[in-house]
Amino acid sequence: MSVASLSPSRPPLPASILRLLFPLGAVLAAFAVGMAVVVIMGVPLDKALFAFWRGAFGNAYAISASLNRAVALALVGVGFVIANRAGLTNVGGEGQIAVGGIASTALCLTPGMASLPLGLAFIIPMIGGALAGGMWGALAGLLRARAGANEVITTLLLSFIAIWLLYWSVQSESLLRQPMTNSATLPESLLIPDPTKAPLLTGSYASPVTIGLPILAVVAVIAALALRRSLFGFQLSAVGLNPVAAARAGIAVGSTMVVALFIAGALGGLAGALMLQGEQYSLKAGFSSGYGFDGLVVGLLARGSIVGVIAGALLFGFMRSGGISMEMAASVPSALVGILQGLIVLMIAGAAYYVDREAR
Amino acid sequence: MTAELIAVFLGSTIRLAVPLLFAATGELVSERAGVVNMSLEGMMLMGAFAGAVGAALTGSPMLGLAAAILAVLPIAFVQAGLTNVLRANQIVTGIGINILVLGLTTLGYRQMFGERSRATIPGFDAWSTPLLSNLPVIGPLFQQIWLAWLGLAIICAVAYVLACTGLGISIRAAGEDPQAVAKSGANVTAVRHGAIIFTGVMAALGGAFLSIGDIHTFTEGMTNGAGYLAIVAVIFGNWRLWRTVFACLLFGAATALQFQLPALGVQIPNALLIMMPYLLAFLAVAGLVGRQTAPRALAQPFWP
Repeated sequence: MSVASLSPSRPPLPASILRLLFPLGAVLAAFAVGMAVVVIMGVPLDKALFAFWRGAFGNAYAISASLNRAVALALVGVGFVIANRAGLTNVGGEGQIAVGGIASTALCLTPGMASLPLGLAFIIPMIGGALAGGMWGALAGLLRARAGANEVITTLLLSFIAIWLLYWSVQSESLLRQPMTNSATLPESLLIPDPTKAPLLTGSYASPVTIGLPILAVVAVIAALALRRSLFGFQLSAVGLNPVAAARAGIAVGSTMVVALFIAGALGGLAGALMLQGEQYSLKAGFSSGYGFDGLVVGLLARGSIVGVIAGALLFGFMRSGGISMEMAASVPSALVGILQGLIVLMIAGAAYYVDREAR
Repeated sequence: MTAELIAVFLGSTIRLAVPLLFAATGELVSERAGVVNMSLEGMMLMGAFAGAVGAALTGSPMLGLAAAILAVLPIAFVQAGLTNVLRANQIVTGIGINILVLGLTTLGYRQMFGERSRATIPGFDAWSTPLLSNLPVIGPLFQQIWLAWLGLAIICAVAYVLACTGLGISIRAAGEDPQAVAKSGANVTAVRHGAIIFTGVMAALGGAFLSIGDIHTFTEGMTNGAGYLAIVAVIFGNWRLWRTVFACLLFGAATALQFQLPALGVQIPNALLIMMPYLLAFLAVAGLVGRQTAPRALAQPFWP
């Protein structure tokens, strides 16, 4: 029982409004800092803002690229929220994206895959990527359930292992590296064949929103409903709130944890498959490039809400695009976006406890 | 393996292990006090950056070192305030700080030195220990900059404080049973604040070693996961000081090997060697190598 709930002074703001207002304030404050930095750097503010806006929303291509980024972040974020409901912190998004990308590349380049009918050519690698990511996540779940190993540590370690596995597989010709024809052959995989690429919603590269967007929509709706209304969602919450009580009530705590981390990993793996099949088309080292950590942050900031994940993913996705454009057109390093993201994370995380107490 | 190669290997093992030793020793103290400092990576990066800037502006690596410590202290204060006062999630705040510092240092470096500049900056020179460094084979072990020796001294001091002093008992108890510490009259929050600030200073030294001690330049994101690797060393070291020191040396050796093996004609994928520390730590945490006993109150906020 906190002190605030006992004191009868002023009526508290409704919880939902407070939870919405605070992140908004943090984002605005961070943007204000960003604009101040731009001014201090001596870049005309209007020029930088215009470049940011054009990169994020300027045309169909920009919007599509931002949306594709947001989809990957949101998938990782939704996975984070699901595992977090069971009291688990999945720090392994980066590695789950990486193994998803590796599996998806391997399947896309499998002889005969490109000639499969009915879209199986792109569906099977996506499912393969999701399964690989899921198993990477479930491994951490299994260790938590069987050996009591802290999943924060195991998922983080598995991330680094996966990142170097990825590096290995694009460095070694016996794995996924393209055949070396001369000394300048880059350490990356072959381009995946056209039929295995994720279909574009409009069919045109001028607005390359991939099938990932509707997939995310379906995933998000199912996740939101399942967390709120299903038996599985109830089991997750029970395990998260009090594992001992959940076990007494007959819930298989261990397997619930494994399944929760499997789902989180699978969504990360799916994000990796989509990034490969929908955007990059060949596997390179550094393929996951921070999406896992950004997705983790999106999941954390959403504080359990799927709608919050979508909002955060859109924000970060568009910020990334705007930042890249700002660097090219206004020579403001896109590192500025990192500064803003860091500030937003710290402000929201720092206020979380007090916002919750006020809202209660 | 010829004697010369062994000598080079030993020398570079130490050189690569020293930044890890600084950071991991600092992190160990934090974690024993119950705080996970995921911001270690950001602290090291800021130390490397501020050390480079300080040395470049003043021409003195000594002042660079001071700048590194001064620049990392605010990060430690932020980390301490967020985790001990605001009780924010320690993983989130750490990752937030890392993202923020990567952005700050990249932007700052480009503003001051221009894009892709690899200008050499004044740094510390290796210091040959009299007599010892003339020894055959193991001589290069003793050709290190004085910071490495400082690191050794600090590690011994930390070992003494943790094991033999009242302060050490307070630190260890703050991570095992903070309520008991509070009941005994000690101030858990103060102990944890102090531990985080110590970690910041150590991370600053480790980061500065990278830029002004080792390669005499700064590159964007140059820590490249060294901070996380130091946390991994603490985990692999089972939260014990000497095992953590051993882990750092082992990780340094694994990294040094990837430059040595090709010279010997041994074909082992680079990635496997770089992955080795993480793999070993993973096996340890999974319970396949001994039992892991983390401090019981690790990562849990303290409520008086």
